[in-house]
Amino acid sequence: MVHDDTHEHYHQPGLQHQFEDMKQQAESDSIGMWMFLVQEIMFFGGLFTVYLVFRSKYPMAFAAGSNHLNEWLGMANTLVLIVSSLTMALAVHYAQLGKRNAQVIFIIVTMIFGAMFLGVKAYEYAEKYADGIVPITGLNARTDKKILPKDEKYSVDPESRRRNSLGFPDSVETNPQVPRENDTAKTGEHVGEHEEEYINPRGDFIWKDTSLADKALAEGYLTDNEKLAYMTNGEISQAKFQDKVRIFFWIYFAMTALHALHMIIGLGIMLWLLWKAWRYTFTPDYYAPVEMVGLYWHFVDIVWIFLFPLLYLLGRHFLHGGGH
Amino acid sequence: MENVNALNIGNIKPEPKVNYLTNGTTARSWLLTKDHKRIAILYLLTVSAFFALGGVYASLIRLELLTPESDLLQSATYNRVFTQHGVIMVFFFLIPSIPAILGNFLIPIMIGAKDLAFPRINLLSWYLYMAGGGLTLFALLQGGVDTGWTFYTPYSTTFSNGYVMLVGLGIFINGFSSILTGLNFIVTIHTMRAPGMTWFRMPLFVWAHYATSLVMILGTPVIAVTILLMALERLAHVGIFDPAIGGDPILFQHLFWFYSHPAVYIMILPGMGVVSELISNFSRKKIFGYEFIAFSSIAIAVFGFLVWGHHMFVSGQSVYAGLVFSFLTMVVSVPSAIKVFNWGATLYKGSISYDTPMLYGLFFIGLFLIGGLTGVFLGALGLTVHLTDTYFIVAHFHYVMVGGQVLAYLGGLHYWWSKITGKVYSEFWSKIAAIIIFVGFNLTFFPQFILGYMGMPRRYASYPPEFQVLNIFSTAGASILAIGLIIPLIYLTYSIFFGAKAESNPWMLPGLEWRTSSPPPTENFEQTPIVTWEAYEFGEENGLDMEEARREILAPVV
Amino acid sequence: MQQNTSWVPLFPEQASSFAWQVDGLYFYLLAISAFFTVGIVAAIVFFFVKYRAKEKFANGAEIHGSIALETVWSIIPFVIAMTIFLGGAVVYYNQYRPPAEAMEIYVVGKQWMWKFQHGTGQREINELHVPVGRNVKLTMTTEDVLHDVYIPAFRTKADVVPGRYSTIWFNATKPGKYHLFCAEYCGLNHSGMGGWVYVMEQRDFDNWLGGSVSGQTPVEAGKDLFENKLGCASCHAGGKDQRGAVLEGLFGSQVKLTNGQTVTADEEYIRNSIINPSGQIVEGYQPIMPTFKGQVTEEQLVQLVAYVKSLSTNKGGGSMTTGATSSTTNSSVNTTSGGNMTNSGAGNTNSLVAPRADRGATSQGSNPNAPPSEPETTGKKNN
Repeated sequence: MVHDDTHEHYHQPGLQHQFEDMKQQAESDSIGMWMFLVQEIMFFGGLFTVYLVFRSKYPMAFAAGSNHLNEWLGMANTLVLIVSSLTMALAVHYAQLGKRNAQVIFIIVTMIFGAMFLGVKAYEYAEKYADGIVPITGLNARTDKKILPKDEKYSVDPESRRRNSLGFPDSVETNPQVPRENDTAKTGEHVGEHEEEYINPRGDFIWKDTSLADKALAEGYLTDNEKLAYMTNGEISQAKFQDKVRIFFWIYFAMTALHALHMIIGLGIMLWLLWKAWRYTFTPDYYAPVEMVGLYWHFVDIVWIFLFPLLYLLGRHFLHGGGH
Repeated sequence: MENVNALNIGNIKPEPKVNYLTNGTTARSWLLTKDHKRIAILYLLTVSAFFALGGVYASLIRLELLTPESDLLQSATYNRVFTQHGVIMVFFFLIPSIPAILGNFLIPIMIGAKDLAFPRINLLSWYLYMAGGGLTLFALLQGGVDTGWTFYTPYSTTFSNGYVMLVGLGIFINGFSSILTGLNFIVTIHTMRAPGMTWFRMPLFVWAHYATSLVMILGTPVIAVTILLMALERLAHVGIFDPAIGGDPILFQHLFWFYSHPAVYIMILPGMGVVSELISNFSRKKIFGYEFIAFSSIAIAVFGFLVWGHHMFVSGQSVYAGLVFSFLTMVVSVPSAIKVFNWGATLYKGSISYDTPMLYGLFFIGLFLIGGLTGVFLGALGLTVHLTDTYFIVAHFHYVMVGGQVLAYLGGLHYWWSKITGKVYSEFWSKIAAIIIFVGFNLTFFPQFILGYMGMPRRYASYPPEFQVLNIFSTAGASILAIGLIIPLIYLTYSIFFGAKAESNPWMLPGLEWRTSSPPPTENFEQTPIVTWEAYEFGEENGLDMEEARREILAPVV
Repeated sequence: MQQNTSWVPLFPEQASSFAWQVDGLYFYLLAISAFFTVGIVAAIVFFFVKYRAKEKFANGAEIHGSIALETVWSIIPFVIAMTIFLGGAVVYYNQYRPPAEAMEIYVVGKQWMWKFQHGTGQREINELHVPVGRNVKLTMTTEDVLHDVYIPAFRTKADVVPGRYSTIWFNATKPGKYHLFCAEYCGLNHSGMGGWVYVMEQRDFDNWLGGSVSGQTPVEAGKDLFENKLGCASCHAGGKDQRGAVLEGLFGSQVKLTNGQTVTADEEYIRNSIINPSGQIVEGYQPIMPTFKGQVTEEQLVQLVAYVKSLSTNKGGGSMTTGATSSTTNSSVNTTSGGNMTNSGAGNTNSLVAPRADRGATSQGSNPNAPPSEPETTGKKNN
């Protein structure tokens, strides 16, 4: 007994050989896309976990880094993406109706918004480059600005820092009964002796502003963990604070760059989609590719909806109000 | 629907003129194929090559451990050898073995589909696997890595001199191969089932792959991002895993095991699926408690995501975290126990035949039993403090991975060999090999349980002399195991060229894969099948004509 | 001392107060495992024989399952698993909760040696002496990568994590010599990173704390220090992979330092290299050697210098006989150490107990032994 004879002879455009009919194919595409998005959520989820772990460890350093970001640019980008999601949804809508011209227009508009977003992002990255806060040595503007570090311990070489912090046997750290705040006896002696001009020929990450941590310390809401992490010799150490701010910027770059990569891939796919739409490929019976690209675009949008408050907004109240 | 089914009646159908193997013979027809069966063959060849390479590393390890001193291999070499053994076996053999070879070949056939839902993505998976594998091999040729397959920080990020980033990139890319395969399976199982193939008529092999695919999709991205973080950390030294500048080395372990524990289930669930097929079909009896086995696969996949912390009982996580993870570990052991009981009960009042695949199935149950029970040892908090990071844990996971997955893989390969190649292997040699593998395996790994309880730490190039006797046993066992694994290579290869032609359904089994010719045509079935019988239905309802089969197949015997 | 002497060792020694609990749990689980393994395997073999196919293609009985049976064999493993969980939790609690009254010992792991410091100031490397019957608490950290203190006879272990302290405790019940392992993979010489725990009667332990008697010559004693007690050999005697400078033929030769100077490797040089390694880095080597100041007594320094010298004479580089060497060593180093004593202000070279004053002297910064990275860091910044 033969299941359905008709499909053996008649193939709809766009129906692939492994499927019985368009319905099965559309359903497969849809589930496949959702599974892909689930995978993406897990992928970004790993990074969000890392963000949460470090934000809860170093709220002040994260607030300091976050306050440095330009929230108005972030806001503008959020609006751009939300509007682009709308135009994408309209493109899908017109694909369903089979209206080729409207489809093409809205795909182009969406691409323009996507490009705008990337442009703003590139501008922000350039700012960071100029400010010397890209967390990778060598990827900052090589400046001859004279910088007077508060603490001579400044170094980007983790190897030397490691031995500083856990020397044996002279370090009191081998004896945990001695509170760790006092652990600076050995390095503290050098403070003040070695203040000298620092030039940034290697493009190092530099962060001098410790005011948020100072304020938190003065007003008494610096956590114990943060005290251990930021302080040397009873006061906030620029070098130690800088390390933690560097972690913030590293997470900022990792997350926004991965997001931007998704945007770029999205624009690439849309270019293909545009070509297809231009050639009247999509009909009310076959518009799955437009719908799938739409899903992808909304996902990328949603990721940004999470990134914007987490990276740009959380911690701003430390700057303006009290710490609570 | 009336029980008339065009392709059921003739058990021995006329051969189609062109099957998937003869449909195109150029290199291009293989390398650009979108046929899931050909892609499975591509995987079979490449995964076997990686298995052989991993095996060479394993032999080096066992030879070195023959004597207490690190004499055959210096520590530096030994560390690289065991790392590369782990990386290759885990990422390039165990994870793709059953899903990418047998799953790829059989899932569409078992549910009556023409192909997977996304054939091009399937081919892309194989190319990603090759790219990842190629990068890893390249790194090995350059000098390899010495971090252990777990890449624990800060050793991997700051101290190791190996090609960590290159291998990391290889694993990252290979991860996407596995994600895409899982995605393909899930979609296929959802949408491509033939008419009448309801969820609860699917073979348990398919259920097991559904659960495996869930783990692949939910877990693999996390390790991808973890490896990415590790590589960036190595590049930029930002310090997220470096405590000296504010990072947390334990965070890496959390992220790593969040994937890698579920990955353990990627490496055993498909094996369980294969064994469910073997036990039921060679007992010629419906599997006992079909729904329980199906749902226990899903339960294992879900609970598997909640127990990653049991790899970290001694790494400094809080006592309360330890208690929670230990409790959940005990819970996840229950579905596995259910499966074992059900397999045992399936044999009761069966009609059991002793074909080679069934031998593997039975060996699997025995070895998985030991592997699973020793897993409970390691989940028990007070005991694991003593046992973790010793040879006990090495023995435990080899019992699960090798005794479980590898035996299931070999069993499955023998079971479906005639379907895949259309040829018959030597029953005599295959039985001999199965027994040699079983004996060799136990001799290799059982002494390691004792070594572990004695306190011999793992990853040691040299060890105190009192451990030597047991290590000699283990190395002797490994040589037997190696012989046992080489024999199938010979007779299976021989069968391809000189073996007898296989019947379509030599055991008269009801599964859909036995209702098409061996090897199947490119579109799998001449016509889309309609399923009217339950899984493992041996009664008359399955539409197979036993009388005819007895006449035809047994004619020469009578 | 108490080695397992049976031909095939099956069971490790039990030497801590909670070892019996771990073993009890082990045997409980072994019994459960044996019961299920034997039961299931026997059932399978029985079915296998009894229900073998009597006729080709004959079908088995039509049994599809049984909810009652499934429920039973879901609940029974669950209940058993819970007993195991509870037992394990209790033992774990005993293992990881140190009693209030405990003798504290600080442990620092470093690639690839263990450094111990007793509350009394005594320092040891790769060896740990503890009294029997006393609660001992180890507070541990590491200078570089993850390590793991594992003493099988005590049935306890814990990872040692950089940047934080982990603790284990034990109460040794039996005098003897027990293995100490590093159980967390830590790189090249991971399998060499271990040593011995000596459990001694309280009286012997007090004697040991008070000082040691040895009938060894300085060269022999130095060799013992070099190879076993201080673990120098892990970096300075490893063949082509070794990380530290080559010492064979060193004595009396000209050494080029990273700061451009060339010095003669005399006793003073060797001594300073041991207590202040970063002061004079040999060209081509990383400044990774830790200082041994405070861990080696002046007496031991003498022995070490004697041993390093013997490495050169044995190679035939010098014209002096070994006997002559050791006598020269003694006299010359005595002078050196005397001078240094005045410098550092640390007294009492005869006691094996390192002076507590040492630590104070360091933190005041008057000590030539500045943390190794300081000068280097400054240098980098100026580049």
